[in-house]
Amino acid sequence: MNELRDVYITGVGAHLPGPPVASAAIEDHIGRIGGRDSALGRRALRWNGVETRHYALDRDGRPTTSNAAMCAAAIRAALDHAALTPRDLSFLATATTQGDYLVPGHGSNVHGELGGGPLELASFQSVCGSALMAAKSAWLSVRAGEHDIAAAAASEFSSRWFRPAFYEGSALVDAKGRLRPEADYLRFTLSDGAGAVVMEPSPRPAGLSLRVRFIDLISLADRFDPCMWAGAAPESRADPLSTWAFSGPQAAHAEGAIALLQDFELLKRVIRAWVGVYLQKVEAGRIAPASIDHLLCHYSARSLRTEIEGLLESTAGMIPRDRWFSNLSTVGNVGSASIWVMLEAFLRSGRLSPGQQVLCVVPESGRVLVGFMLLEAVE
Amino acid sequence: MTGVSDVLRQLTIVFMEFEGRLEQTPLIRKLTRGRFELADYHAFLVGLRQQVADGALWMSRAASNIDEDHLELRSTLMRHAVTEHRDFRLLEADYAACGGDLAVIRGAEKNLGSEALSAWMFHEASRPNPFGLLGAMWIIEGLGSIKAAEWGRLVQRRLDLPDEALRFLLYHGENDVEHIKEFEAMLAMVLPDAAVAARIVKTARVTARLYALQIEEITGD
Repeated sequence: MNELRDVYITGVGAHLPGPPVASAAIEDHIGRIGGRDSALGRRALRWNGVETRHYALDRDGRPTTSNAAMCAAAIRAALDHAALTPRDLSFLATATTQGDYLVPGHGSNVHGELGGGPLELASFQSVCGSALMAAKSAWLSVRAGEHDIAAAAASEFSSRWFRPAFYEGSALVDAKGRLRPEADYLRFTLSDGAGAVVMEPSPRPAGLSLRVRFIDLISLADRFDPCMWAGAAPESRADPLSTWAFSGPQAAHAEGAIALLQDFELLKRVIRAWVGVYLQKVEAGRIAPASIDHLLCHYSARSLRTEIEGLLESTAGMIPRDRWFSNLSTVGNVGSASIWVMLEAFLRSGRLSPGQQVLCVVPESGRVLVGFMLLEAVE
Repeated sequence: MTGVSDVLRQLTIVFMEFEGRLEQTPLIRKLTRGRFELADYHAFLVGLRQQVADGALWMSRAASNIDEDHLELRSTLMRHAVTEHRDFRLLEADYAACGGDLAVIRGAEKNLGSEALSAWMFHEASRPNPFGLLGAMWIIEGLGSIKAAEWGRLVQRRLDLPDEALRFLLYHGENDVEHIKEFEAMLAMVLPDAAVAARIVKTARVTARLYALQIEEITGD
């Protein structure tokens, strides 16, 4: 058995905690810095285009579940969709930006929540792109014949990092009590949830499956400093020896080295780099825009669409807008879980027909990478 | 793969790789990491000045080598040359506005990268119908319309300089969309043609590499 096998996504699951939260209620859940409404929030929402989202914090900021438990719920949903149970799983690859624990890895805690039996585990930590790292691991495991039933799952509990305690008493809040925009923007951009897929070497007995054609991940960290990060103060983030653990958690908090931060100036350059990598794929013939029937692209900077669309049209790289599917505005930006949450809603939408190609694009600003996954619907 | 959109795609990829290389140069690292000093800005302006002064000259020379079958392209290049041929004065004024001595910036030698870049541009511009130079324009004008304003804002934030000291960097950066449309029109004057397409992309690559060398060679120490 040395031949590589075709691999199919036979189940997709999503888990979004609690009811949808309207923009006006965001700070009831994530709290108010110094007890005051954010000045930046409304602008951030205009940029990211999110209208409702979900939080694993209730209206008083108390947790209703854990990151690992949300991930396990999504895996159960995906297994159920594939008519399988946790017992059937022999390989699990997980992804998250920040697990419940610093140590051990998210994967172990997800397995702990999921139960089932002993299984092989891979635990990926990055930002949005970690979803496809886990997917590639699961895909290759099945493809190589190492496993027959694998799951790739991703989850985020971003909101707990947006509580006032992460900022108050730190250099991120100025003398007038205002939070730095690098920190505040993300509070209105990211939210909670989980998603998962099940992969097997044969399609579902009935209904549509998705054959995985390829998964490509390209990192550009050779040229960029961190763009979205936690663990270093904004001014010293390029120096690994200035990261949080060297000064200890209390001093690091005071320096503003604990909270999740985003560099907007750098983000603009990063977006051009993502587009460049995509066009390299087009140029190389790996992605043929005309043959893509559906595009699922995870991105949060809605305001940059026009400029990028213009460039993509000029370079014959554009996939027409009527082929784009996104539920970002209603479910929020769920980081690594977004692509699976989107895929789950897309399959339920009934838009997919046998033989069609679905391109998933997952850019990660973290330290800049972008992933592509091409799927083909089979019946 | 030799039409306007194919060449634009390849040029966009070249520019993305170019930006990646620029990010890694010592000068730009200082700028993005908040370690940029006034001496770095002075060195930056001195380093750019010679090449900016050359820009309109090689463009004029290129125009003079374009044959009668491509008069529209010749006109466009000549207009560009006229628009830009005094830009280096603006750069000198910026330099003076932040405490630089005009005699220094005017009398400075080209650095290693600027020497190579300048020699390359004039060499290319001296060939008959030097359409490959459209690739060089993509790189150099892309710097003007995309990078200059970005750099200008970073310099301003870091050094707290008045607008009068940043006009060269800040005044470019307008209207990227217009820039691409105009450039598409220029490409359409010489494409589709396989040899020309290849030459444009090659020229863009060489120009990007030599431009990055010019930036690599700028130090404020």
